[in-house]
Amino acid sequence: MKSAAAVPTVFIIDDDRGMRQSIQDLVESVGLRAESFATGEEFLKRKRTNDPSCLVLDVRLPQMSGLDFQRQLAETGMQIPIIFVTAHGDVPMSVRALKSGAVEFLTKPFRDQDLLDAIQQALQRDHAAQEQQAESNDLQGRYHALTQREQEVMTLVVSGMLNKQIASEIGASEATVKIHRGNVMRKMQAGSVVDLVRMADKLKLSPRK
Amino acid sequence: MADEDVQKTLEELSRDLQESKAKLEEAQRVAHVGHWEWDLETDVVVWSDETYRIFGLSPQERPMDLATVRAMVHPEDRDSLYGGVDEDLIAGIRPDAEFRIVRRNGEVRTVHALTSRRWSAMPGDAKRDAKGRPYKLFGTVQDITDRKRAEEALQRTQAHFREGQRLARMGSWTSDGSSCQWSDELFEIYGFDPRNRVPTTEQFLAIIHPQDRASMADAIKLMLEQERGCDVTTRIVRSDGEQRYVRCVGVRVVEQGVFKGFLGTAMDVTEQELLTQELRRERAYLTEAQSLAHLGSWACNLVTRKIFHSSDENARLYGFDPSEGAIPFDRFYNTILTEDETALRAQLENAIRAGADYDVEFRIRRADGTIRFMRGIGHHNPSQEVGEYVGITVDMTERKRAEEERERLRQLEADLAHINRVNMMGELAAALAHEIKQPIAASITSANACLRWLARDPPDLERARAAAARIEQDGNRAADVINRLRSFYKKGSAPKREIVDIRTIILEMAALLKTEGIRHSVTIHSAVDPDTPKILVDRVQLQQVFMNLMLNAIEAMKDTGGALTIAARPNSQGQIIVSIRDTGVGLPQESTEQIFDAFHTTKPEGTGMGLAITRSIVESHGGRVWATANQGAGATFHFTLPIEAEAHA
Repeated sequence: MKSAAAVPTVFIIDDDRGMRQSIQDLVESVGLRAESFATGEEFLKRKRTNDPSCLVLDVRLPQMSGLDFQRQLAETGMQIPIIFVTAHGDVPMSVRALKSGAVEFLTKPFRDQDLLDAIQQALQRDHAAQEQQAESNDLQGRYHALTQREQEVMTLVVSGMLNKQIASEIGASEATVKIHRGNVMRKMQAGSVVDLVRMADKLKLSPRK
Repeated sequence: MADEDVQKTLEELSRDLQESKAKLEEAQRVAHVGHWEWDLETDVVVWSDETYRIFGLSPQERPMDLATVRAMVHPEDRDSLYGGVDEDLIAGIRPDAEFRIVRRNGEVRTVHALTSRRWSAMPGDAKRDAKGRPYKLFGTVQDITDRKRAEEALQRTQAHFREGQRLARMGSWTSDGSSCQWSDELFEIYGFDPRNRVPTTEQFLAIIHPQDRASMADAIKLMLEQERGCDVTTRIVRSDGEQRYVRCVGVRVVEQGVFKGFLGTAMDVTEQELLTQELRRERAYLTEAQSLAHLGSWACNLVTRKIFHSSDENARLYGFDPSEGAIPFDRFYNTILTEDETALRAQLENAIRAGADYDVEFRIRRADGTIRFMRGIGHHNPSQEVGEYVGITVDMTERKRAEEERERLRQLEADLAHINRVNMMGELAAALAHEIKQPIAASITSANACLRWLARDPPDLERARAAAARIEQDGNRAADVINRLRSFYKKGSAPKREIVDIRTIILEMAALLKTEGIRHSVTIHSAVDPDTPKILVDRVQLQQVFMNLMLNAIEAMKDTGGALTIAARPNSQGQIIVSIRDTGVGLPQESTEQIFDAFHTTKPEGTGMGLAITRSIVESHGGRVWATANQGAGATFHFTLPIEAEAHA
């Protein structure tokens, strides 16, 4: 977790009031934050924070089925791990849900531990995803802080070229290349060329051959 | 005159006389005419030989007197012949008499006697008594028996002829081309007076019905101009306005190659004509009716394979053209499909052997290849020959197809109804499951949360209490769902209690499910105690109870067939007890109570709701339902309904 203040939140969408209250209570009983909604629309209206979160979603909802809601979220680029719960699910339905990225598919009534385990797993997955996202954002920021020449040099470095070759490639002196290279390593916070190559990989830079 | 001459003359005269006498005798013999002479003074009667013969005696066998003659006269004719003879004999003698005589051998002959009244006028022979009366009479007697008989025969024949014509309403006529003779009956037939003359052609044509007059005139013209015979039936309108049909037939009379005229008859054929027309009409109606009904009639002998009658429609049914004429038995028989013929022949042979009627169905293939379903009904009259049947053939093809179509639709409907029922119950079950699972899952989750609040250190009692409160809430919610289900019938169809005769409902349901029963070879019986009172129930719900239990019973017997018996009677606890008994597969091994639970089913396509609904309805009426295994095969379902409701009605 990025900070101590970041409290994971479990969102619950179930049209059955008793059901969503009991799930919320169960989640809270293990010290997690929980918020519940009767419909998907209500959930969408709430402003999301960057805190890790997951969604406990009832398959049968009044307006739109849980599975359709899952697809709608994916289409709008909102990434949140989903745990499906249903009063009567069948195998094809669960397969479809899981294939679309659901963490778990639970049939009511479920064992509380199964739900809590699934929630933990989902939060971890969200956390990891957020960290990955944060790292990626950081790297992007550093990369974009490079000058155009530095970005050019970086691409050639990660392609495995020697300074002499790079100098000839960009039409500069070998000394100039050394300065650029030093700047790149520093600005990108890379400890080694190997580090830099990994970063380039994450940034999806295509090395020159 | 010389003696010799005299002698000679005498001899000649004598010879002449002898000759004359012989000729007279011969003439009398040939003509059967005799003569007699009666001397009134001596009462001697002299007869000629022929007179003796006429009286059946040998000529001159004995002398005659009046008493002898009188005795030979037929007793019935004696008085009229000799009436008043004693007083005034001469005056009493009729100069011309016809009477019968009886010969010795008993033979009766008729004779005609002539007595000369001009006796005294005869010159030289007149012999008179003192009163100047002649004392001798002379006469002839002639045997007229044969002529008399011929005359009588002719009269009889003519009388018979007239009577025959009258009875036959047939008159006769002859024509020589220029004039006509009509028998009396012919006048009668045409409505003319027989006392008048034969009517002229114009008079005759005037009585012919206007519409037939031209054809009659043509016929007459042809007869007169071309000497042709005729045979025409025309209507006549008699003077009394009555219309009759008369058939007039004339044939040419030719003697030795020469045309002599016509001989003809005319007959009143009104009755026959009307009957014929009636028959023709009847036949037309019958033919039309047969054609409409696709029904043919026939009469035949199945043993000799001889057809006595086959209606036009009968021929058409088999694909034959009735105008072809009579169709032999085998042509009919050979159209029968081979696969049906064997069974049909057996049925017919049985019927023939038993001399019984038959009613058979078979298929035929017509010449054009089409297959038709036929039904044949044959009636055998015990007085008829063996194998002789009168009957009808009906083309059942359309009806058969319609029946098949109907059966197919009915099956489809039944299937659909069942699918609907299963679907509906499936939907209901799914909805119900969701409805009940939701609060149960919620209470389980709340219970889990509650436990967790309590497990905390320190335990969060506030939150635990809240969770426990929700458990109660959701528990009640689940109970509510179930209560709602129990009251489903009350809500779904508001109970309409009315006074119902359970007998009527049983009969209705038995009628409704009869076809279903027949389909599975199940017979339905009912036995309702006459003391069973009417009760206050919801008719539709009670019908549903019967429907469920009876369908279950039929279902239990669908592979074996069997009997379904419905009984109802009042019991000593103030209830009507109804039992529905089958002879089917019986109850499952498990507890018989369980079969009434919702969703409990032993049938692959069952909903498991039938008996649950049944129990719900019966209990809502204050009754009870249960099942028992039969001693033999099958099971019996019983239910009770309180009678006391009747009192509140």
